[in-house]
Formats: sequence, C-alpha cells, structure tokens
Amino acid sequence: MYRTAHRCARTLARGACALLAACASGLAQSAWQYDVDAGLTYDSNVNRAYAPADIRADAAFALDASAGWFYAVSGGDGLTFADEATTQIHHRFAGLNALEVAAAATYRHKFGLGYAAPWIALRLSAAGLQYRDDLRDGGRVEAQIEMGQRFTPEFDAALGGVLERRYARHDEPVVPGISGKVFDLRGQALYARAGYALTERLLVAATLAVRRGDVVASTRRDFAIFTASDAVADPAFGADFFAYRLRGTTDTAKLSASCALDGRSSLNAVYADERTDAAGSIDYRSHSASLLYAWRY
Amino acid sequence: MRRFLLALLLLACGSAFGQAAEIAATVVDEHGRPVEDAVVVAVPSDGSVRVPAHLREASVDQVDQEFTPKVTAIVVGTPVRFPNHDNIRHQVYSFSPAKRFELPLYAGVPAAAIVFDKPGVVVLGCNIHDWMIGYIYVSESPYFAKTGSDGKALLGELPLRAYRVRVWHPQLATGEETTRKTVDVERAGPVSVQWTIALKRETKIRRVPAADGRGGGY
Repeated sequence: MYRTAHRCARTLARGACALLAACASGLAQSAWQYDVDAGLTYDSNVNRAYAPADIRADAAFALDASAGWFYAVSGGDGLTFADEATTQIHHRFAGLNALEVAAAATYRHKFGLGYAAPWIALRLSAAGLQYRDDLRDGGRVEAQIEMGQRFTPEFDAALGGVLERRYARHDEPVVPGISGKVFDLRGQALYARAGYALTERLLVAATLAVRRGDVVASTRRDFAIFTASDAVADPAFGADFFAYRLRGTTDTAKLSASCALDGRSSLNAVYADERTDAAGSIDYRSHSASLLYAWRY
Repeated sequence: MRRFLLALLLLACGSAFGQAAEIAATVVDEHGRPVEDAVVVAVPSDGSVRVPAHLREASVDQVDQEFTPKVTAIVVGTPVRFPNHDNIRHQVYSFSPAKRFELPLYAGVPAAAIVFDKPGVVVLGCNIHDWMIGYIYVSESPYFAKTGSDGKALLGELPLRAYRVRVWHPQLATGEETTRKTVDVERAGPVSVQWTIALKRETKIRRVPAADGRGGGY
C-alpha cells in the first residue's frame, strides 16, 4: 500500500513533467511560485488520548516549503503543479519528528469574469511520510474538491470535500491476530471556510470541518478502547502506551488571523478546537495553536 | 495716431491670446497628509472644451502582477495599450459603464489599442489575478493632471478664463462633484488651489499569503 502512495506520487510527478514538456512553448507565459511557512505550534493532546491521565501536550517547530508552477490555460482556467516539503521537530516527543514530501496538482476553473465569479478547484496530492518513529512512516494520497466565491473584495467563502487515504509502511502487531498497521487510515471530510479582511493588512478566517474515518488514539493499555479498535501498535509516547485505530467523527473549528507584514509576507495566528467521537464511546478533544510566518514569491 | 492705436490694440489682443495660466493644485486628506494619484480636472465654465484632434496613445503596463500606473488620467478619445511585462499571461477587463471591454488572455503587447470614448472612471481588473486593480480616469476636458506623492499637481497651458475644477481619487468618500470649485484665471501665472478630501478604505483584494496552520494528524 505504501508503494501505491509512492507510485501515485511518482505518477503525479511524471504527469507534471509530461505536461511541462507539452506546454514547453507556454512556459514563457507561466509563473513559478515559492511559498514558505515557518513557526511554532502547540497541541494540547498530541496523542489524542481520552483519559485525562494519558493526555500529552507538545510543541513543535514546523517548516513548510513549496515550489509551484502556475499556468493560465485560459482566462478562466488555471493549472498549478507544486512540490512541497514539510518538517516538524517536536519538543517532547522526538518520535513525532517528521519529514513529508508531496507532489500536488490543482486545476481551478472560474465561472465567468471578475473577482466575484464563482469557482471550483480540484486538487490531487500524494505524499511520502518519514517519521523518527518508523511505525508512522508511509504515504498519503488525497483528492480534494472546493467551490467558492468572493462576494466582496473583503469577503470570500468556500465549501469543500476531501477524500484521504494514508498507507502504513510497517506492520508491527503487538497482539496476535490484530493488525499492527495502525496508521493505515482512510477518511473523508467536508468543510466550510470564510475569510474577511478587516483592514488592508488584517484578515480573519474561520473553518468548520467534519471528518468521518479512521483516527488513532494513543493511551495506556485500556480494555474499552482495545475492544473498539481494529488495529493496535506500540507508539512514540512511552513504553506503556499503545496506539489504537478507531472509527470516529471529528468536528473541527478553526479560527485564524493573518497580518500582512509587507507585500509578500504575513504573520499568522491559528487556533483549532478538535472534538472526536469514536467507536466505543471513546471521545477526546484537543486544542492547537500556531504562530506562523508565511512568505510567498 | 490711428496706426499707433491699432498697433497697441493688436499687441494687447496678441498677448491676451498667447498668455496661459496655471493651476497649482494641492490635495490633502482629512489629516493633512498629501494624497497621491488624485486626478484634478479643470473644465472651462463657458463649456468651450476643445479636445485635440490627434491624441497620443497612453499605456497601462502590467508589472509584477500589478497595473502600473495604478491611476491613469486621459482625455476622452485617447487610445490605450496594455503591455504585459510579466512572464505570465493576463486577461484585462472592465465592467465600468464608461468602457466595457475584455482583452482575452495575452502576453506581450496586445495588437490593438482600446479607445476610451466616454468620460468617466474605468476600473480595470485581471481575471487571472483578482488582486490586480487599476483605474483609468477619462476626462471630458484636456486640462487635467494627477497628483504626485507630495499631493501636488500642475495644470498648465490653460487659456485665460474661468474653470470648474474638481478632484477624483479611487478612495474618494464623497461624490466627485462635491469637490468642485470655480477658479477664475484671468491673468497669466499660477493660481494655487487646495482641496481637503475624505478618503474611504481602499477595497482591494489581499495579495499577501496567509498560512493555513496545518498540523495535527499525528
């Protein structure tokens, strides 16, 4: 399965190269785009535990860099191919330190002329995930559809859906007869987001999302969660902790504020509240906050 | 004696026709700060507007995915080209009643210039880059100027007469007509006029990226 993700990433990369070659004449009329996000993030329940005694918080340094190529196919259609690299370095749990390398293709169509014309975007991405804790290594593929409209120069909103599949590279069962591929996950999400520019520099945004699918909770040995789970493994949170894969529904509310520093960069504060209602009445909650610097050229 | 009086009359008429006045305009906002990119237009009060027969072509460039200059003032009938200096194609359009047009996706310099044949304000946009916004002020009078960063503009070569002078700016909070002043330039030389205008917030789509705060999914 992990190979499947890698195959997808390779196929996307090859597709991007083929299209680049096909559009060689149009290259002169395309734009390269570079993005870097860097900052600190804090998560109050990094292991997604439900028992208060098992909850672990952690902070991390996050760096996300991408290089993309945008080509305007027509006045209303645009194609973007991007390579992205993301790394996270955790303060407490080094096993969560990760490097993610992804390739993504986005097609966007605008239904008309002007900023107020509604649009639709399709995005396909494939990523390879490399963690310090090998158990989490694997790949991920995502398909995303988003529809939106800018109603005024200050206000825009969008609705979207995501199908995701994460493939685990390693299968290390700790209970005979039960899969150890805890991070072999699938899920689907729906979301709505809206942004409003309060001033020329300050933008606030809110996102509400509902995700249904596999979730992973890491706790101490626990019979209730064991009976509700369909995969168990030994995670990065200590010798007496186990990771359990469950089916669940996660509701996320996210608020962000972005302050433009100059024409190319911004300082961003993001807060997210996540509540998961998983099988076997396993419910847990986490809060995360990030302070990120974003730059684009 | 008769010849002398005739010569004196011809001299007086000649100097009157040959002389020109200037209006030195200063535009500041409510806080006294100079207002850049304000267009000051002088229309002869007697309505005797003569637009030159041959008008020089104007140009609104696209540089670094922005319109340059942001505000362009032209007299009615002026042809304007939109050269694209970026390495990506643009699709320039306007929905403004003074001129509706669309230049299909292009790179370089479009073959034909667009003639702006109605007075008014034309708001420019690009369908690829929504944050791009530019303005063309199409004046019914050939006597106009745009303020610099010091808020000053000089309207020169004005025939000696009275003018209705008004100011326009993309962020002007009130109607353009509320800025109208009558300026009588009966004698050659500069006449100084100052406007204090109220500006509203600029309604421009933000170009600066925002981080999406990815994370979680441990």
